[in-house]
Amino acid sequence: MWEKIVTFFVQNWEKAGVFLEQARKNFVDSFYLNFVEDARWTYLLNGLIVTLKVTFFAVILGFVIGFIIAMIRSSHENTGKPKILNAIAGLYLTVIRGTPVLVQLMIIYFVVFASVRIDKTFVAILAFGINSGAYQAEIFRSGIQSIPRGQFEAGRSLGFNYSQTMIHIIMPQAFKNVIPTLCNEFITLLKETSVASYIALEDLTKGGDIIRSRTYSAFMPLMAVALIYLLLVLIFSHFVKRLERRLKRSDH
Amino acid sequence: MTTENGHDALPEKPLIQVKDLCKTFDSNEVLKHITVDIHKGDVVCVIGPSGSGKSTFLRCLNRLEEPTEGQILFEGVDICDKKTDIDRHRQKMGMVFQQFNLFPHMTIMKNLTIAPMKLQGKSQKEAEETANELLEKVGLKDRAGDYPSRLSGGQQQRIAIVRALCMKPDVMLFDEPTSALDPEMIGEVLDVMRDLAEQKMTMVVVTHEMGFAREVGTRVMFLDGGDFLEENEPKEFFEHPKNERLKSFLSKVL
Repeated sequence: MWEKIVTFFVQNWEKAGVFLEQARKNFVDSFYLNFVEDARWTYLLNGLIVTLKVTFFAVILGFVIGFIIAMIRSSHENTGKPKILNAIAGLYLTVIRGTPVLVQLMIIYFVVFASVRIDKTFVAILAFGINSGAYQAEIFRSGIQSIPRGQFEAGRSLGFNYSQTMIHIIMPQAFKNVIPTLCNEFITLLKETSVASYIALEDLTKGGDIIRSRTYSAFMPLMAVALIYLLLVLIFSHFVKRLERRLKRSDH
Repeated sequence: MTTENGHDALPEKPLIQVKDLCKTFDSNEVLKHITVDIHKGDVVCVIGPSGSGKSTFLRCLNRLEEPTEGQILFEGVDICDKKTDIDRHRQKMGMVFQQFNLFPHMTIMKNLTIAPMKLQGKSQKEAEETANELLEKVGLKDRAGDYPSRLSGGQQQRIAIVRALCMKPDVMLFDEPTSALDPEMIGEVLDVMRDLAEQKMTMVVVTHEMGFAREVGTRVMFLDGGDFLEENEPKEFFEHPKNERLKSFLSKVL
């Protein structure tokens, strides 16, 4: 079998050379067409910046929302108050986690802001932030629940009130426990934001898609987009792992 | 260790008055109409079989457990009243837990100073001075910069006692302080508690250490089935128990 192939190549050396040369030339041409001509690579670069911007601010918005929701939920679990806010928080979690993020995004863009001209980046940050908030709330809550009850009682018995105990004793420990999970939420969100193309936000995915529609070749731009996402995820995952190790070492 | 209660010769109003205290968990009656007075300088040792409600009784005294019924007067104020600022009163009631419950994310010094600084407005210098004094008394001054996980169980419990003392409480509540310790570490913790009793600190101690109750206690009380069945000064209590259930309990544990 191998012998045959080798013989074939030897006999058709010249043909093979031509074929490889052709492939190389096709690749270079395609690369040139998709990325260099008309400076098309800027679609990817600008898209990447938008993607990172949306992810970053959405995570921060989600952090704030998640923190507040988690506080309300844990306070309700421990003290039975506040009732109405807790009901609202419960509804928020159910709706956000029970519907696809793409649907939420489109509702915010095409329904909520239907009659207003508004920056799409802002809409995406808002939609993904609200979405991420629900997941981050659960991350915080599980972090708080992982702290032994005795810590809470020790704080209260010294005379700290509920919020002081949360702030000085429970949250610092809970927060440390959830940092790696929060970073993973960032990574998840980074990939999730690709659906923002649906509202024509020119993020990384849309950037690749625009190139495709200009050059009528799908392979190059889409592979490039996939590679960039993969690279980002690998880089961030690497940092999360290192962070995890450091946190573990400082475990007291 | 300096305490604020000094040596009052005059018998005055009890420091803690428990009146008709009831506690039910769902349909389970744990405490049944307990009435008891605790005076300044008392070292009250509460003994009894497991599940008798000893810990629940103790935890009701600073409302870590919400009493179902009854009144608890601490320094004349009903702390069960919803209008009472329980956090302020808890500052005057130190508590020591079976599981130590030191704050693992803080150094020993921070464990000792955070409450006095945040709650009593002490400066860091003041708070550290008090902490150092007390640390010296329990022989752990050199561990101030360590994190709790670096300490043995006995050391952690001594720190937990110091943490409560840093607030200059009027009463110390001990919830089985030696039950989670290896046998060789029980002594060092009991020694600290003995010193404390000698300085006339008011103490309520839930314990299984009969030796401690006999030597250090000023009153020993037997709790079973949700009520105190017998109470006496230690000598009489251990040598001439009257209640049948106490007799059978003592015959098992002594």
